[in-house]
Amino acid sequence: MTDRVLIEGSEAMARAAVAAGCRFFTGYPMTPFTELLEHMASLLPEVDGVCMNAESELEAVGMAWGAATTGHLAATGSTGQGLSLMQESLSEITNARLPLVVFNMARGQGDYFQATRGGGHGDYRHIVLAPMDIPEAVELTRLAFELASQWRTPVMVLGDYYLAHTYQAVSVPSIGGADPELPDWALNGSSGGSGAAKIISPLGGGVEGEEGFDLGAHYAACAAHIQEMSAGVDPLVDIGFCEDAELVVAAYGSVGKFVRYACLRLRDDGHRVGYVRPITLWPFPSEAVRDAIAGAAKVAVYEQNMGQMVEDVRLATLGAVPVEFIGGPSWDHSGFGIGPDINVPDISECILRAMQ
Amino acid sequence: MSSDHIFISTDLPPEEPASLVDDFTPSLITQANHHLCPGCGEPIAIRAAVEAVEELELAQRTITVFGIGCYTAFAHNLDVEVVQALHGRAPSVATGIKRMLPNGFVMTIQGDGDMVNEGLQEVLHAAARGENITCLLLNNGVFGETGGQMTTTTTLGQRTKTSIEGRDPHQHGHPILLSDLAATMDGAAYVARCAVNNAGNVARTKRYITKAYESQMAGAGFSLVEILTMCPTGWFVDTLEGPDYLQDTLAPVHNIGELKTP
Amino acid sequence: MSYGERELMLTGIGGQGVQLAAQVIAQGATAEGKEVLVFGSYGGMMRGGNSDSTVVISDQPIEAPPVLSTTWSAILMHHQFWAPLKERIRDNGLVLVNTSVFEDELVADRYQVVEVPATDVATDLGNPLLAAMVMSGVYGRKSGLVSLAGLAEGMRRSVPPYRSQLIEANEAALAAGWEMAA
Repeated sequence: MTDRVLIEGSEAMARAAVAAGCRFFTGYPMTPFTELLEHMASLLPEVDGVCMNAESELEAVGMAWGAATTGHLAATGSTGQGLSLMQESLSEITNARLPLVVFNMARGQGDYFQATRGGGHGDYRHIVLAPMDIPEAVELTRLAFELASQWRTPVMVLGDYYLAHTYQAVSVPSIGGADPELPDWALNGSSGGSGAAKIISPLGGGVEGEEGFDLGAHYAACAAHIQEMSAGVDPLVDIGFCEDAELVVAAYGSVGKFVRYACLRLRDDGHRVGYVRPITLWPFPSEAVRDAIAGAAKVAVYEQNMGQMVEDVRLATLGAVPVEFIGGPSWDHSGFGIGPDINVPDISECILRAMQ
Repeated sequence: MSSDHIFISTDLPPEEPASLVDDFTPSLITQANHHLCPGCGEPIAIRAAVEAVEELELAQRTITVFGIGCYTAFAHNLDVEVVQALHGRAPSVATGIKRMLPNGFVMTIQGDGDMVNEGLQEVLHAAARGENITCLLLNNGVFGETGGQMTTTTTLGQRTKTSIEGRDPHQHGHPILLSDLAATMDGAAYVARCAVNNAGNVARTKRYITKAYESQMAGAGFSLVEILTMCPTGWFVDTLEGPDYLQDTLAPVHNIGELKTP
Repeated sequence: MSYGERELMLTGIGGQGVQLAAQVIAQGATAEGKEVLVFGSYGGMMRGGNSDSTVVISDQPIEAPPVLSTTWSAILMHHQFWAPLKERIRDNGLVLVNTSVFEDELVADRYQVVEVPATDVATDLGNPLLAAMVMSGVYGRKSGLVSLAGLAEGMRRSVPPYRSQLIEANEAALAAGWEMAA
């Protein structure tokens, strides 16, 4: 008997979030994000945290924004649809330099651009992590809170229906730990009346009309910070069999796990195929992808959409080899991105066709 | 000539220095100058709001969440902690803060475009939830910052840049009476409407704001003070006509008084 | 080729305990230190619709994605929704059939078929709803993947609190299945 538990992906991520110090969570039910919200609602009271069933996604992200200004680790989430509603705030939260973890339990893979391009207005990006299964999701959830605090930025964990609803035996961290220390920028009211009360604003600090208040300067500082993150966040990537591969297949997330499995089996049958699976989608692991395809004759990109990450792969490889898109949107009648097309034999067929 | 006549000697320096604007500025406003228009009612309302914070000794536990409008300029001029929110979204941001700092004093400052147009559901949901925060609505019936367009609180017949011949219910619909709406919510503890167009109303504004703050500190639930403010620029009237215009145009529809008390 | 991974696909109709059997076997294997993955699907309604589940058990970290096209073993609780599974069972696969209700042809020479009158046995034990537990007992022994003690532990972890009065009967049904597989 071991201390490992068989646990649903949603619950595993919720436990990992609370274990990482998350003390505020809010969301609006929507498949396949709902169970994450339910698990947070039952877990957070155990650590004197707060979970709110917000009246809308607009309000969920607003509440998370407010909670984040107090320095407590906060998180919210939805599906890509709900994330569309949250984007205005996510853009401003990024410019307000606040840590926040956002769980996007997407329906299929149509939201890659939304996730990686800064889905709202303005010139911003935030970190995006895409786990392929539950053990990796547990680890990346911990990392998401760490990166959010370190860089004072929203970090998105991009999952899907498979991740939310699969059960897997994993070791999950216990949730009883001490509350994380609050950062010195956090608000609690106490700097009022000091002559220099704190302000947290997407428009920057300083006194209007005086030196220090300059929206242009603030946006320039935000842009510099994004450049710094782009260069400073360790890109994560999973690479297999690329040394002698004729064809390298790129894929991410749960679909990446299907592709990985297809490649393992094709290898067993003697096909010289390798795979590269970006885990940080922003910053995109361009260098690792470039290295992985160095000896290949061709790169194929499998995504459950019309072709989005394929653009990042093309940018990473800069014409070194032909890059072919071999995926397509989900046929799933429920719209949840679990179409019958997502299966190992069909994906293997696509890969073999690309090899010809 | 009677003997108690005061004589001012001009060949000596005055016994006390002359009064400056700063001398009349509440200590929680860090900068005496603001660049809002002459005759604007918003600085009067904000002054009342921070004076009440000081008088109730809440300065070191206050977090103020600002919406987006002309009044946003004060987000950078106050000596209380401030969170700048998006247009309409201040009540949910305040909710997140209050839930993590239940002993803090949390308020929002929003205009009618912010609270009643863009963020109507936010303030009503916060009221229904009985969220223990105080929302201040600065209602002048127009979008001041963008130059005088119609908002949801613009009264029938009121002329704005987007209701040139006056607000017509057939074309533009009817005004929303936000405080009346909020007062119907079971979670609302204190709801009142006042104005800053004359000395009596300014005193009343201060009194209502104080009661709203006390209500929050007593944990009674949601509180809202709607303050009718002058916007002579956005109304296209002379600066000095602002107070009367408010009295004639806004006040007959948005009735002044306490709508709900704990 | 399965990388030491043993797949099990279960099919039946909602209400037969298909999801519970998958949970019991998976929880039992987890309790015994195995790597386990489960992905279930059921047709919206709790009773009467299709109910399928996939379980993967391994000694190594699992490479398989949640949806598989072939399987090493299968539990057929009912024939109504079993057609898609037919071709997925690999040659010589272990196939447990609930002969009490299953009414379809099985190509016996392609599979290792184990006939289990699970619903009848369960009825004799006092409750036809125990059929899935009987089947799980048989599966544990025939597959060699989970011990009887492991199944019992898995069952205790899987039964919701409002069904705790059934724990004893479930345990008896698991044991009965285990004995039948001797």
